Amino acid sequence: MDSIRKRRNLYALLLSVSILLALLLGAIISRQAALFFAAASLITLFLLLRQSRLCSDAGLIRDNRILQVPAALISIENSHTKRPCEETIVSTFGILIGSDIYRWGLKGIHGIRLHSVEIDRERMHLTFGDKSQIMNLDLLHGLTRKEAVQDAAEKLWRETGVRADISGWQEISET
Amino acid sequence: MSKIKTLNAERLSLIGFSLLFAYVLSFQFEGQVLYSLLELSKTDSDSYILLAIIAHFAGLFTSGIFIKSETSAKRMMLGGMGLCLIATVSFYFPLPTLWLIALLISGYFSGAAVAAWGYFLRAYTAKNERIKTCADALIYSNLLMIAVNVLAMNRSPLIGLSLSLLCLLLGMIFIGLLPQEQELKEQKSLSKKASASIKKPLFLLCLFVFIITINSGLMYQVFNPAFAHLTGLVSWYWAVPYIIALVIMRNLPRKVKRSGILYIGMAMIMGAFISFMLLGRDTADYLIVDTLMLGACGIFDLFWWSILGEMLDYGENPARTFGIGLSANVFGVLCGGVMGMAVTSIGLPGAEVAVIALAVVCVTLVMLPPLNRQLVLLLKNHAYLETYDTMSRSEQTNIVRQIKTLDPLTTREQEVLHEILSGKSNREIAETLFISENTVKTHARNIYSKYDVASRSELISNLLKNQTAE
Repeated sequence: MDSIRKRRNLYALLLSVSILLALLLGAIISRQAALFFAAASLITLFLLLRQSRLCSDAGLIRDNRILQVPAALISIENSHTKRPCEETIVSTFGILIGSDIYRWGLKGIHGIRLHSVEIDRERMHLTFGDKSQIMNLDLLHGLTRKEAVQDAAEKLWRETGVRADISGWQEISET
Repeated sequence: MSKIKTLNAERLSLIGFSLLFAYVLSFQFEGQVLYSLLELSKTDSDSYILLAIIAHFAGLFTSGIFIKSETSAKRMMLGGMGLCLIATVSFYFPLPTLWLIALLISGYFSGAAVAAWGYFLRAYTAKNERIKTCADALIYSNLLMIAVNVLAMNRSPLIGLSLSLLCLLLGMIFIGLLPQEQELKEQKSLSKKASASIKKPLFLLCLFVFIITINSGLMYQVFNPAFAHLTGLVSWYWAVPYIIALVIMRNLPRKVKRSGILYIGMAMIMGAFISFMLLGRDTADYLIVDTLMLGACGIFDLFWWSILGEMLDYGENPARTFGIGLSANVFGVLCGGVMGMAVTSIGLPGAEVAVIALAVVCVTLVMLPPLNRQLVLLLKNHAYLETYDTMSRSEQTNIVRQIKTLDPLTTREQEVLHEILSGKSNREIAETLFISENTVKTHARNIYSKYDVASRSELISNLLKNQTAE
């Protein structure tokens, strides 16, 4: 979240500088230089808008958090590559992994949707995507109490309509 | 007993307003009495007429600032009519400069007095009966106007002026007899709740009224001078098609879709301008042109007057709602009038004037369907939200369950939907559910997607259809 915000601020700064340079150089030196910085301003503006959108989505995910974990492992279905990730927030509208955002539920039935959730003693396995691509995400959830897991599952059901499949906790309570 | 009392109050208010409006129509607002007096004194009428319309517009538009209760509405009606009376007396004396000041005063205060009637229309007329009350007010005032016009144009403008003043005086007496009653608590709470959402429908209505009435302004400036030589006929027939259209529209069965008749009205306006372009300037030609044009005016006027009447429940201040709605009409007439004055001053031939008018009609025609749809949808929503709010929780749940979704709603979405149907804004929902406003907006978008609708209005409208289809 912080890295997204920092990048947005950087783009805002770059935009201001490039606009200023376009105006100054246009007035003092040459029209070509002004045009170059004007084009740079347009590109920076586009990047700033994109980053602002990401920042807004990240804010939405953070505001509606269900679970926050310090580490995660992400993999894509039909591909054997697995990627370790930084701090992860699971929320009603998607997942924020470091500066990467995986959104679901933002465009209703027409966009990416959460399909299933499985929780065992160590990991939470989420499947989400649309018709073109399905993503799998493995999280080390770090939860040690059964009540906390049930609480997270209940929140997931309430907020996303997906019932989590909990396994491996029955044996612990029985032993 | 109280029913009889309300009935009497309704009649008193209706008669009082009709008399005030008859004064406005016959004298102050492009009235034949004013035209005849200005003609008699050989004064340039355009500046006087424009000043009177601008002052009337200002009175209607600003009345909501100082009329904030039924008591102040009654005071404004009585005081405003009194000031109009005093100002209009100056027309017995040949002092054109004084007439300008008199028109400024009478224009402003007659506008404010008309807007103030919004309080009485809301207080004394039942919600779904306002179309009839509005129709009655327009019919009575136009009948009185015809009587005044006939005498002013065929006998003497001063007799017409005296009759206009008599209308004003009698109107004051009837308004003075109105009982001072406390507004119903229910009405107040409903107004408070819905006031936040009235801006959009009111803006749409004003836009609709403004565009429609540009043609009326053009008509005053283009048709009237062209048929001025038929004084006898014009004096009494002018508003007859208008009154007939009002009577027909007033007595239409509830089942008839009034919005469809708007298209007939539009065709009548087009027919009127085409006839004006093709026909001559004889009696039969006048009958055709006037019947088409004024008949259409009757259809449109009652349509938006009745919508404005229904809207009074959804604003905190009915004088403001009523005044702003009517001011859009006056503004449209003003703009149409200025256009008309411009085209007649440069001496454009009748055919070209008609082409300009037809261009305005075409713009109106393009704008009418989306405007009408939005307006009707929003009003239906208001009506539905009110009904939904009075239902029990189980009835509310049943209504929501009866509508099929493309995908089941989550528990959180059901909570948000319930709040939406209770008429709450996104901010209010966020406060109730302890979530951010952005979260509410995202949930709302998802709900719309699951119901396959594009907006909150459409969602509520679908619920309404479902309920009425049962």
